[in-house]
Amino acid sequence: MAETTFAPTTARAGGIRRRTDAARAALTRSVLLHVVMILGALAMFFPFYWTVVTSLTPGSGLGSTPSLIPADASLEAYQRLFADLPFARVVGNSLLLATVTTLAQLFTSATAAYAFSRLPFRGRTVVFGIYLATMMIPLQVLVVPLFAELRAWGLVDTYLGALLPTLAAAFGVFLLRQAMNQVPFELDEAAALDGAGHFRIFWTVILPNIRPALATLAVFAFMGSWNSFLWPLVVLRSPELQTLPVALAGLQGQYTTQWDIVMAGSVVSILPMLAIYLFAQKYVIQGVANTGLK
Amino acid sequence: MTALIGEAAAEVGAEARPAASRRRPARTPGRRSRRIRYALTVLAFLLPSAVPLLLFVLGPMVAAAWISLTEWNLLAPATWVGLDNYANLLTDPETADVFLHTLYYIVGYLPLVYVGGLAIALALNTALRGRTVLRGVYFLPVITSWIVVALVWRWLLNPSNGVVNTVLAWFGIDGPGWWTDPAWAMPSIILASAWKDLGFVMVILLAGLQAIDPELLDAARVDGAGWWRRLFSVTLPLLSPATFFVIVISLINGFQVFDQVYAMTGGGPGGATQVVVQQIYDLTFRYGRAGEASALSWLLFVVILAVTVIQIRGQRKWVNYG
Amino acid sequence: MRTTALAGVGIVAATALALTGCSAGDSSGEADGPVTITYTNFISNGGNEENLQAIVDAFEEENPDITVEVTTLPYADYGTALQTDLAAGTVSDVFDIEYANFAQYQANGVLAELDPEDPSAYRTSVLEAYQSDGTQYALPSSFSTVVLFYNADLFEAAGVETPTADWTWADEQAAAEQLTDEAAGVWGDHQPVSFYEYYKVLAQNGGEFLNEDGTAVAFNTPEGVEAAEWLVGKSGTVMPTIEDGQGTPDFDTNLFLDGKLAMLHTGIWMFGAFADVPFGWDIAVEPGNTQQASALFSNAVGVSAGSEHQEAAAAFAEYLTSSDVMVQTRLDAGWELPATSDEAALDSYLTLGNPENRQAVFDSLENVALPPVVAEGQQEMQDIMTEELVEAQAGRKSVQEALDSAEERINAAIGG
Repeated sequence: MAETTFAPTTARAGGIRRRTDAARAALTRSVLLHVVMILGALAMFFPFYWTVVTSLTPGSGLGSTPSLIPADASLEAYQRLFADLPFARVVGNSLLLATVTTLAQLFTSATAAYAFSRLPFRGRTVVFGIYLATMMIPLQVLVVPLFAELRAWGLVDTYLGALLPTLAAAFGVFLLRQAMNQVPFELDEAAALDGAGHFRIFWTVILPNIRPALATLAVFAFMGSWNSFLWPLVVLRSPELQTLPVALAGLQGQYTTQWDIVMAGSVVSILPMLAIYLFAQKYVIQGVANTGLK
Repeated sequence: MTALIGEAAAEVGAEARPAASRRRPARTPGRRSRRIRYALTVLAFLLPSAVPLLLFVLGPMVAAAWISLTEWNLLAPATWVGLDNYANLLTDPETADVFLHTLYYIVGYLPLVYVGGLAIALALNTALRGRTVLRGVYFLPVITSWIVVALVWRWLLNPSNGVVNTVLAWFGIDGPGWWTDPAWAMPSIILASAWKDLGFVMVILLAGLQAIDPELLDAARVDGAGWWRRLFSVTLPLLSPATFFVIVISLINGFQVFDQVYAMTGGGPGGATQVVVQQIYDLTFRYGRAGEASALSWLLFVVILAVTVIQIRGQRKWVNYG
Repeated sequence: MRTTALAGVGIVAATALALTGCSAGDSSGEADGPVTITYTNFISNGGNEENLQAIVDAFEEENPDITVEVTTLPYADYGTALQTDLAAGTVSDVFDIEYANFAQYQANGVLAELDPEDPSAYRTSVLEAYQSDGTQYALPSSFSTVVLFYNADLFEAAGVETPTADWTWADEQAAAEQLTDEAAGVWGDHQPVSFYEYYKVLAQNGGEFLNEDGTAVAFNTPEGVEAAEWLVGKSGTVMPTIEDGQGTPDFDTNLFLDGKLAMLHTGIWMFGAFADVPFGWDIAVEPGNTQQASALFSNAVGVSAGSEHQEAAAAFAEYLTSSDVMVQTRLDAGWELPATSDEAALDSYLTLGNPENRQAVFDSLENVALPPVVAEGQQEMQDIMTEELVEAQAGRKSVQEALDSAEERINAAIGG
């Protein structure tokens, strides 16, 4: 096409054709990529869609073939959700615990990660290993001694009792340490030359440069607390203090389960998480602009 | 460029070392007070996390160790049995079984979830249209509870009229019994788990990818490196800290897999998917053998610790920081 | 520094544990004046919280000195929370228990001895289930039985006689075969393959699950094999197979609701769920083979042996399980059956509507098959039995092999 119109030299003709072919190949690749990603997204989205459909189908059992379009769609399940449970209270409890946990973990993880990344000391690797070791025993086994401990301090059935074990988590320390290790020491150096001590370096140099990791940790810490089941089940008993997953489990009775309400509860449970995640994504993307490389 | 960074790191390493040497015999008062100040700084940074972890994880871990030396049904006071629980566990073939099932899960799950998560992260790191929405959608399974996910996957993998077997039938393949079949139950759990956690890996790797300076990739492209080459020579090495993190965490969590097994098969059929933590849960809350459960969890701990230490030691060989 | 701290915390934790081990035993005397007792339950979960509150309110009115704090937990996880409480000594003054766990709790001394003021208010058979050596350790709050539901329309269309009280397995089998039409997706009979069904059909065939002193199983006999085959044989012939989804939650009830199942073995708790179906249905006492035996499930409340308010707790427990208020509330709400001996009160139950043959519920109480219970290894025994039976159902083992294996494994679990 190009050759006939412009009658270019052989070299240029080859060049333009190569570029057009490349452009076409790129377009095909792009379209293919879009298609694959969208198909994948549908696969990811389908269970959520099915949850919503079931929640809109009143009095539904779990049919062997869930319908794609809700029959007699109604918001009855959601209404009953708020009527049968002190749902607003329950959601409030979960929100409170999750928020405090997230803030606490951001703080405790960042400080510890700074020590493991920037403050060499004898036995540092061993101590880091001990931190990691705290992730290696399943909660199922820790629950009983932990409960006995909190009971000895009179903290059973209190917000504090539910919160204390969640204030620090090695997961966050590990995540942030990895991120901090990628911040070049040159930046520390520069700040030190300006007379900054460790606290200032931590606050003005390190933290701003690990925003994506901080945002990621915030999402996971929030999610961990929001979906946490075993510990709140065991330590919180009063209906005023119950959290969402435990309240939802309560919808499954001894003999029968009201699936439409369970699904409605699941939908309501997912939405705040999704909001937090999408909000946090902004900070993850900003990352490159703030790495301060060069 | 990487070499330059490496040099700088080495320099800084040399600078950081004097801090250690400063801690050898204090010869002058100035040195000593600096030592103390430094120690206090380290403490200040570590205490906020160390105290809760000590009190609420390490403490109960020690208590669990004590429980493992007893026989306890949770209802009556515990009775001392010394190392009997450990001896019984180590000679019981069921112990090897649960560990093998857990290993089976990990070997199937890890490659699947990493490659899948990487692929999605790479795709979403480009100028793909609607990638914000896509990022949200791919993360949805991560925040959905296993109650719902297990239900959906059991339905999808329903041997007689599930979507998967129906589609397989179009190609003339007789689909297996999936979670009702002992041979296919674990693969079913692996599939569901990898699907659910793809978003988690994606998020971590995406954060790591975002931190890679695009100029490095441009430089490589200008040097004539194709897409695969750029992936393996530039992207993956620079992504190695995030990859390291994903692998370590996935292994630690993989050895403790529980929620999905409990929700999808409860350890069945015929005990084919009984994993270590499912066994621990059963022993503690269903069979009233908390002593054995604690002993088993400490055995698991040793295994996880060993695996993690090997990885940490090995990271020097392939993980590039900065 | 770290090591010392570690040791320190470990010691604190261990001490706390040791302390809790001791605390389960001490109960001080009754305090005069207003008393607050705690009650943890699962029975009101899933829709009956208000009904429970009505009963509690009535009790508090009659007993102005006593306040009851109610905690309701999900049924599936109740065991986890309760056991944690018992381990740490924080169990409520009054708490729910299931019949299957009664023996274990009683044997471990966590239940207080009870001396109800009016034992005649209870149905004798259910009351006795919660005694040990003549002493009452828990009071039954409700009971349910398992009966045979059937789709009357399907029977009529196929020209088959509907189930009567005289039916035996043979009659059920014959009807099921006639009513099964795989091509149309209609099945004749559904009965779950599990421990809960097995001990019952075993009784229906004259067999015993455990031996005299409960130290070993006694089902590996020709009667036991026959009973197992009765259960397992339905799969694929008159009942869908596991691959078809049999065994998944709500599978059987959905099949029945869709009008695709002629007969269904399930509990009377399903009355409410089936109330609005578009076809005619009714119930009958489950047919036996050599004799009739129906499964009885019941929930009860116990008073904690370590409770500091034994009197108040016992008073509440009795009120909760035998007062007229409770009976009326339960009947009105369709909230399981109160274990009351008051036939007049129960009469209203008979005329509540579908199913018509509600008399069958009480008839089924004539011959009851109680779950076998052991002091140790109860849950394991149940899990193993169900697992082995499912192996047979799936065709991976023969029925005899499954029973042999179950015998070996269960004996090991309960004997040791």
